[in-house]
Amino acid sequence: MKALAVALLLFWPVGLAAQHVTIGPQIAFGDYREVSSALHYRGNGLAAKATVEWKKLSADVVLSKVKYKPTESNSGASEFDASEIDVRMRYYIRGPFSAEVGFMNRKADPEFEAQSVGAVTLGAYMGYLLGPGVHMSLNGGLLFGAKYSGGGTTSGLGAVQLGLGLTVDALKGRMKVTGDYGFQTFARTVDNGSGPLDAPIQQSLGRVGLAIAF
Amino acid sequence: MHRSTSWFAALVLVLPVMGQAQTIQNATLRRAQQAFDNLDYRQALTVAQASLRERLSGFERGRAYELLGFTYSGMDSILKAVEAFKQVVLIEPERDLDPNRTSPKALSAFQVALTQILVVRQLRVDSSNFIGGQGAVPIRYIVTQPSRVVTRITGGTGPLASMRIDSTVANGQVNLRWPARLPSGDPVPAGNYNVVVEATVGQNNFSTSQPIRITHGAVDTLEHLTSLPGYTYLPETEVPPKSWKPLGLALVYSGVALAGTSALSHGELGSPSMREGAVIGVGIATAGFVMTLKKPAPQPARGNILYNQLLREQITRRNTEIAQENTRRRQQVAVTVTPLPRTGGGR
Repeated sequence: MKALAVALLLFWPVGLAAQHVTIGPQIAFGDYREVSSALHYRGNGLAAKATVEWKKLSADVVLSKVKYKPTESNSGASEFDASEIDVRMRYYIRGPFSAEVGFMNRKADPEFEAQSVGAVTLGAYMGYLLGPGVHMSLNGGLLFGAKYSGGGTTSGLGAVQLGLGLTVDALKGRMKVTGDYGFQTFARTVDNGSGPLDAPIQQSLGRVGLAIAF
Repeated sequence: MHRSTSWFAALVLVLPVMGQAQTIQNATLRRAQQAFDNLDYRQALTVAQASLRERLSGFERGRAYELLGFTYSGMDSILKAVEAFKQVVLIEPERDLDPNRTSPKALSAFQVALTQILVVRQLRVDSSNFIGGQGAVPIRYIVTQPSRVVTRITGGTGPLASMRIDSTVANGQVNLRWPARLPSGDPVPAGNYNVVVEATVGQNNFSTSQPIRITHGAVDTLEHLTSLPGYTYLPETEVPPKSWKPLGLALVYSGVALAGTSALSHGELGSPSMREGAVIGVGIATAGFVMTLKKPAPQPARGNILYNQLLREQITRRNTEIAQENTRRRQQVAVTVTPLPRTGGGR
């Protein structure tokens, strides 16, 4: 939440001048898997999304907190909270294409129930106006320099993200209905002395909510 | 046969005289006219000559000579007829005989008379209205002999006390155009003037005049344009035809996201969860379907926008020209020239 406040402080004045700021709450629902199919979680939570647009630049800041619970009660796993911040800045290039750069950071609480991870994102964004006030987007990219709380490494192309977005204007554009889907996969490898072992991490997160436009 | 022809000739000769608005008061002249009407040419001749020795008005004197001219013509005394008609023309230079109602002999004698004396006839100044410096007043007249003819404007002050506007050697019909300007180039001030035409040959001269009135008015200014005739603005947006593109693209976007999710998932983590992606994907596909059914939003019509822009530029340019033209017109005067009734003949 501190990060969202910082991000809002950074972008708020610019957004006011440009009159292209949206901010609003979302309901989040996700699926989280780690190491093997035995560690499978599903959960719900809350999220907040802020978007700022200024000329060819735009930025998304998403904060989410999802309480994940194991899908199988006898797996020995415990529920945990995943708090994530996802910041992306885009620069419009041409047609539907924009270049995208940012970072993400997800923390697990309790700390040892799941891996906390942080990475820098680099990718592309495609936006398309389906009709008056209805906008959809598709984005994808690589997650570089991933750091895990439990250690481990990921090759250069081993961490990928995909996203899908929908924004529908309501109340003459003052209100927006938002829907976002984000998929992250980390081909994490650990080495505890007996050789490298695959310990992948994968999350699918859906978010549906409202936003107010300024 | 001879009698009936004489009657006809008499009728034809007398009709022009009867058509005059003024009436003959002199009794002797009336008797002469009566004798002519009775085809008693000798009596008509004697009495008409007697009437000329009496006090006659100008009109009566002209009629007396005309009666003599017709009588001499009827008596085949052409030279005397010509002399009589010369007197008619000198008294009334504008006098003309109707060729449809006058005997050829009399008409011929009248034409010969015209060529033997110097007169300026049928001086006409046409009514005209023009912007000062950009038009002219048409003036025309007939001079009966080759002569030096000088046309002047008189009746004003300064240079307009007597301003020569034309000088030429002419014979017959003369047409000229007077720009109604002073030597300085300014329009002639408003007022009443005379157009005087003086013809001179040797010791003979003749002049006639036509009064005119010159008035000044403001020149009409042009209205500013709001549109060009024949050109109308085109709509700057146009509704594109319905297409399945929104639904198609929504399915493509959603499909790519879900297929990517499936392809990028690690096998050891089990089958990937499509729930989250499916929820958003279905939402996008639904939105695409709705947008496909919905009337498409108007899109800017670039060609029409450029056309309208060009039209606006043309109208602006034309209005700028109109404004400049109006500024110039406000500094101009509209000159109106009207001929006035003449008070007398020439001399």
